[in-house]
Amino acid sequence: MNTSPQIALDAQAVSRGYHRRDGAIINALSDVTLTINSGEFVCIVGPSGCGKSTLLQICAGLNMPTSGTLLANGKPVTGPGPDRGVVFQKDSVFPWMSVIDNVEYGLACRGVPAAERRKIALHYLAQVGLADVAQAWPRELSGGMLKRVAIAAVFANGSDILLLDEPFGALDYVTRHKIHDVLLSLWDESERAKRTVVFVTHDVDEALTLADRILVMRGGLVIDDLRVDSTRPRDEESLSEHEMVVLKRRMLDHLGIGHGMGRAAE
Amino acid sequence: MTIASLTRDRLIGLGVLALLVLGWQLLSVAFPQEIVPGVPMVPGWEKVFTTTFVSISRYWPGGWGFGSVATGEQPGYFYALLAIIYHSSFTFLRLLVGLLIGSALGISLGLAVSWSAWGRRLVNLPMQFLRVLPLLALLPLFQVWFGLSFLGEVIFVGYGVGVIFFAATINAVSNVPDVYVENSRTFGASQWRTYRTVILPAILPELHSAVLLALGAAWSAVLGSEFLGAQSGLGYILVYSQAYGFLDRMFFIALLVVLFASGSFLIVNRLLGHATRWAR
Repeated sequence: MNTSPQIALDAQAVSRGYHRRDGAIINALSDVTLTINSGEFVCIVGPSGCGKSTLLQICAGLNMPTSGTLLANGKPVTGPGPDRGVVFQKDSVFPWMSVIDNVEYGLACRGVPAAERRKIALHYLAQVGLADVAQAWPRELSGGMLKRVAIAAVFANGSDILLLDEPFGALDYVTRHKIHDVLLSLWDESERAKRTVVFVTHDVDEALTLADRILVMRGGLVIDDLRVDSTRPRDEESLSEHEMVVLKRRMLDHLGIGHGMGRAAE
Repeated sequence: MTIASLTRDRLIGLGVLALLVLGWQLLSVAFPQEIVPGVPMVPGWEKVFTTTFVSISRYWPGGWGFGSVATGEQPGYFYALLAIIYHSSFTFLRLLVGLLIGSALGISLGLAVSWSAWGRRLVNLPMQFLRVLPLLALLPLFQVWFGLSFLGEVIFVGYGVGVIFFAATINAVSNVPDVYVENSRTFGASQWRTYRTVILPAILPELHSAVLLALGAAWSAVLGSEFLGAQSGLGYILVYSQAYGFLDRMFFIALLVVLFASGSFLIVNRLLGHATRWAR
């Protein structure tokens, strides 16, 4: 088995089937084989029901493949673990803990001394621009701020692999753009090697703004694997560059709403 | 809600209460019949707070350096107060210990069952029966099993409270959003830590109503257990008075229970409100 250290995630023929009521087996994922290198920022794009969230959950260890193997940093995934941090679509920040206790949570789980984890948590809270609400209850924060807390928490926990499942789907346009910058600047920390990010989204522009590499999924299959070489930070202007327009058109074709086809019905 | 409307609501509430008090007095005037000589069917306030109050001093058994009415002391407000303190503290002790044991056992058993899907499957159906079993109907059974002891009374209260907490905990745990548990697990938390830091706080707001329900059940259970054979407590005074037709004393004790129960509800509500202040 190829477990070269540069490979963060290695999926070999991963399938996930579900029993339907009538007894038929539906494959949410069919024979997905792919590798994701350490430090890569990968976006998975596809329509709802394409299996992108299932793939992410399998990487997180929250869902198990019915066949095939998945290695994270060379080790088989048997369940969730602190080596793979997850930012969920729903609000996952614990409402019964203060903001800073939420950010410290993972560190506390691993027995990091209180003073040290407070220091780390404050550092990441400052990075996401929330140092002044460290002691607040989560209910006092907006949806965008809660996402920042969740991001600070996974970064503080030091996971090498970050899995984000349509994290910003519920945010408004402006908030979403601001949080993209926050996420990219954290990912680009100079002090340490870049973390691997797998980011699931249904938003083609979001993928083009963030990713080094875009995987397009449909019907449980990875149907395209695109490289995005445009330099960061990318703004509206960059999205209209020729290379980006070509990539976008190609993705829209895959999604069934490409040029000349009009908007296909879901 | 504005401050002004809050105080107005409170004033209206107090007004209704005052009307009830007045209505009772009118009833006592309208129905002066006596159940036994000197004891009216509807004791008016002028009687409740004088002769009735004083007569409670007969339940003071003596002690703490003070004699009792039985050993020749004159009945009076002071001895009545001693009697109230003495018997109330027994009732409170049974209530408190029963509540603590019942809630601790009920919640921890509920959590233990929720630990695995199999635990839930196993207890789900029996739970439905246990929940609808009338508590007071079990009282004679408990007395045969555990005797007329403090232990028996406490176990009875604990059982009544425990069943409520057990059912409520299982239900509340199944309502905790998956995303919190998944979040905790992906941070590397053990199942034990997830229970302690996620499940337990997450179920608290939903347990709030169960706690108030259990408190009500605890009050009925503790008085019920005192009706049958206890030699102390407010419930003991109630049955003892009933046997001799002292309706006014029964009314007085009932008032006392209402007062204590309301106070206990107020305190528990405050404590819970503080514990779940993050949810408001």
